[in-house]
Amino acid sequence: MLNVTKEQNGAVLVVKLNGSIEESVDFNQLIGETPKELHVNCRGVPRINSVGVKSWIRYFQAVAAKGVTLKFVECSTAIVEQINLISNFTCGGEVVSIFVPFMCEGCKSELIGMFQVSALKQLKFELPTLKCSKCGGQAVFDDIPEEYFNFLMN
Amino acid sequence: MGKSLLLISQRPDDQEFAAEVAIAAGLSLVTAADPREGAKILAQEKLLAVLVDASSQQQYQEFEDAVQETVGLFSDQLNANYLHYISSEDLSRVQFLLKSPIFGHFVFRNFANTKQAGQHYGRLVKATTQERAFGLQNIFGTKVKVQTVNFDNTGQKQEAVEAVKNYLLAAKFKARMASIVANAVDELLMNAMFDAPMDELGKQRHASESRATVRKLSGRDAVGMSVAFDGDYVAVSAIDHYGSLDKAKLMNHISKLYTEEEYKVKTTVAGAGLGLATVFRSGGSFFFISESNTMTEAIVFFRRTDSFRDFKDQFRFVSTQFYF
Repeated sequence: MLNVTKEQNGAVLVVKLNGSIEESVDFNQLIGETPKELHVNCRGVPRINSVGVKSWIRYFQAVAAKGVTLKFVECSTAIVEQINLISNFTCGGEVVSIFVPFMCEGCKSELIGMFQVSALKQLKFELPTLKCSKCGGQAVFDDIPEEYFNFLMN
Repeated sequence: MGKSLLLISQRPDDQEFAAEVAIAAGLSLVTAADPREGAKILAQEKLLAVLVDASSQQQYQEFEDAVQETVGLFSDQLNANYLHYISSEDLSRVQFLLKSPIFGHFVFRNFANTKQAGQHYGRLVKATTQERAFGLQNIFGTKVKVQTVNFDNTGQKQEAVEAVKNYLLAAKFKARMASIVANAVDELLMNAMFDAPMDELGKQRHASESRATVRKLSGRDAVGMSVAFDGDYVAVSAIDHYGSLDKAKLMNHISKLYTEEEYKVKTTVAGAGLGLATVFRSGGSFFFISESNTMTEAIVFFRRTDSFRDFKDQFRFVSTQFYF
């Protein structure tokens, strides 16, 4: 079940998605008409199934076709996976920031860190280690760089 | 020779893998150095499984040619159900295997821990040697508990998917892994509920229906789900009672890459057709068992790992078992 909160910020509509995107999601109903710029915050999306992908592409393609500037911010790992798997998933929109998965080498906890895409490019995808919030140990990037950052490398 | 597994490969890693598979499947291992020698054994002996090094199209073609010369590709003596092709190439690069008339199983040679991979795959091979391979119990044995759920209607799917996710979190799968397994289960259940039902003429009855449609699942439309976890591997299966799975279409869906080709939304088809394609790339293995006009069981396997990197890069396979 997806919940959407909307916030008008000047000429920009900011929508926050929270929940799984599946067959019950109707973006037209949840977001509807947009102004000239739409920012989509995806930090709360843990999962998107194939029917969800279909309605996502259908909705955002239609939005982009109207000349709306699309920006995706704080993309969850589930959204980054789709961006990497489906070439037209962002429908021409800009990916501004993404969550990056980390794993603590000590307690094996799963952690995430938010990075601006511009910063990742500056770092050449060589990420710093993070301090584990649970045990204070060292957390390292936990995915395959060529796959997780693939959409930024091309 | 009795109950034997034939390996056609000179690679030491394949030999180590096959030895473990044979032990787990309760078969004796016979080795052939090349496809010609292998095809001769295939023609003479009643084998229960054949593992073939199909690292390249040329190697596969040599095997196919040798089989054609000895047994014949469409001979009753040959059954794709017991042919397992091993390759180091990703699924999208082995179309020659997936489109082969004698395709049965694809084994991706990223063994990592060869012994563990062989033991795991051996259980599947053992199931394929039974009269029918259906049922997680057939793979996991009686020591592992298999939980089964039967659905009353299609509206219960999401609840079941979330229940699987929560079960995995309780079993110490990382949240990201649990979401990926849940997504795989979601896709299998959607296929069982919406794509499997056929009318008498073999036409899909609900394929164009919205996947949000709530429809009663009873009689032949009944759909079940089973879950088993042995401490290392979780397996989840979706079961329908149509047995309408089409191998060629299935392989096309699983191996399709949307990284280069644009995904086009078709308004005439309700399903997206891309759900299965992401499972294998996310670390999942498939085992599809289908008996024509009777039932289909689609199983996904995932190994629990500490790191997501290992999860995604785990040993995996795509297996099919069709009964006509």
